[in-house]
Amino acid sequence: MTMTTPDQIGSVTPARRRPYGLLLVATPVLLVLWLIIWPIISAIITTLWVPTPEGSAFSIETYRFFFSDGYSLSNLSITLWTTGVCAILLLVVCLPIALYLRFSNTKVAAYVQGLAIFPMFVPSIILSFAFIRVLGPNGTVDLLFNAVGLPKIRTPYLTPWGPVIGLVWDNIPLTVLILLSGLGNVSNQAIEAARDVGAGRFALLWHIILPRISNSILVAISFAVLGIFSAFTLPYILGPAAPEMMGPFMQRTFRDLYDPQTAITQAVITFGFCIVFGLFYVRSVAKNRAA
Amino acid sequence: MSVLSIKDVSKIFPNGNVRAVDSFSLDVADGELVCLLGPSGSGKSTLLRMVGGFETPTSGVMTIDGEDITRLPPEKRPTGMVFQSHALWTHMNVFKNLAFGLKLRKVSPDEIKRRVEGVLELVGLGGYGTRGVGQLSGGQQQRVALARSLVLEPKILLLDEPFASLDQHLRERLREEVRDIQQRLKITTLFVTHGQDEALSMADRIVVMRDGRTEQIDRPDVVYREPQTPFVAGFIGTMNLVEGTVSNGIFSRAGYSTPLPVSDGPATLAIRPEALDLAAAEDGGQGKVHRVTDYGTHGLVDLDLRDNTRIKAMVSHPDLFKAGQGVTLKPRAIAAYRDNALIHRA
Ligand SMILES: Nc1ncnc2c1ncn2[C@@H]1O[C@H](COP(=O)(O)OP(=O)(O)OP(=O)(O)O)[C@@H](O)[C@H]1O
Ligand SMILES: [Mg+2]
Repeated sequence: MTMTTPDQIGSVTPARRRPYGLLLVATPVLLVLWLIIWPIISAIITTLWVPTPEGSAFSIETYRFFFSDGYSLSNLSITLWTTGVCAILLLVVCLPIALYLRFSNTKVAAYVQGLAIFPMFVPSIILSFAFIRVLGPNGTVDLLFNAVGLPKIRTPYLTPWGPVIGLVWDNIPLTVLILLSGLGNVSNQAIEAARDVGAGRFALLWHIILPRISNSILVAISFAVLGIFSAFTLPYILGPAAPEMMGPFMQRTFRDLYDPQTAITQAVITFGFCIVFGLFYVRSVAKNRAA
Repeated sequence: MSVLSIKDVSKIFPNGNVRAVDSFSLDVADGELVCLLGPSGSGKSTLLRMVGGFETPTSGVMTIDGEDITRLPPEKRPTGMVFQSHALWTHMNVFKNLAFGLKLRKVSPDEIKRRVEGVLELVGLGGYGTRGVGQLSGGQQQRVALARSLVLEPKILLLDEPFASLDQHLRERLREEVRDIQQRLKITTLFVTHGQDEALSMADRIVVMRDGRTEQIDRPDVVYREPQTPFVAGFIGTMNLVEGTVSNGIFSRAGYSTPLPVSDGPATLAIRPEALDLAAAEDGGQGKVHRVTDYGTHGLVDLDLRDNTRIKAMVSHPDLFKAGQGVTLKPRAIAAYRDNALIHRA
């Protein structure tokens, strides 16, 4: 069998071979254009060409409405708040888990890993109902508290903390996996060398481990934030009716209020925020490549 | 006065159930360089890592300057370790790699600068402070690793096959440099290697290890000339080991016999190739030449005893021998072992 690298294809018979490569790339590129780029452009156009009695005209009215409407703004801010809190909690929860998994070589670690990855295989809808059965009114926790004579808990169900708890749980696996792969790049010898020159646990974490995985942290957080910002199922089922996160908000504007243009505006604004987070991700990947 | 003292130290890994290190004892004197030499899996790294604090002994005691360090974590020990590779912190430049330990010790910035530059000079990397460690060659990286340990002025320097990933030429050069630096600083050093030439050329004393135990502890020349066990004899340098039986003061094996004044029983005869003369024999002799290799300065003759036991002899005139020829063996020096101990030397 002979192996041909892309370079060779280019240099040996450029005229005859090159079109095949382009054809291979063409399919995904066309799909991306058709299913992603075009809807985005069309959505932006839809929101900027507003129907008037004389036909449609260019206007930024829908955006002006969004950014002056108190309810829309409070929905945006609850979304940002939820995303931010989730990101912080995810780091606080997942970093210790990942560190434990990386540096422990006991049998328990295997089970912890299994548990940490498990939510990945649970659909969010099932996760939501499990949440309600455990933490909701008259859920397992309430029943247990009741059995030992403690007062009812103030359930996070239908408060902003409901989606936070659900989303954090839902995002633990991916975050742990990304952090773990970052920690895989920190060699045991580099860590032992640090201990050898006198680094205690904290100095080790702060000066040796964190700088090496800062990129992975950024990637993990970008991934989580992108998903959480536009999440639908968990906020829809677990969250309060008002204010609501952007996902359920769009859906309600579209389905219940029959206002597609406003819904699309909300979508474009959500997309705008996600692009910013996306840029963080792209930047850190690029930095990684350069290094 | 011994700086490092290891007494009856054993290590059993919980999962493996092997005694990686088995009742090991060693005293290392101030400024001495001791090489731990042994085949793969003989427990050298495990022993060194116990001295560095990266493994805890299952039993036994280790002291440095009389102070018990057996249970101290690595960060509290006055030891400095140079790892085989991949131990530099790639997110820091050379200067920061060296300065890190000093910063943790709250040394003043001026003092840090002075010491780091001094040590970089010492390992031949003066002016490399601002380089990223990724921009250095393998040999330079290992020098940085050495400098990083030296800058903290450890009481004991530990090196675990620090040159194993380098090519032969570089390895020889670094070996000499490390030896020079070690003698200049008079720093007590434990050096792990499984290369006998490395051990022979660097060490004040060699510890030959096998299956976690000590086979012999001696000066390099003594280990070479007077190996105490057949294992050491076979491991250091080239050695012909011939198993046979002794009866009435004569050792014999497949048509070869030689006087050996020991009691009757089995014995292993050890003859260095350079201590074995050959004489052409008319009538088949004791062995038959298999191959002659001419190295210019000397020649090497491979010969077979009658039961095809292969023996090597170094000769000064290889052109006197040719394949298929019968020879008689005339050893100038022999040693004999029985039950893993030396029973005779002549
Ligand atoms: N962490 C560990 N867990 C279980 N067994 C181990 C561990 N580390 C080493 N061993 C075992 O201990 C024995 C000695 O290993 P060690 O690494 O000390 O050998 P070595 O002399 O350094 O060999 P090499 O020359 O290959 O580096 C080996 O049998 C090895 O399998
Ligand atoms: Mg080793």
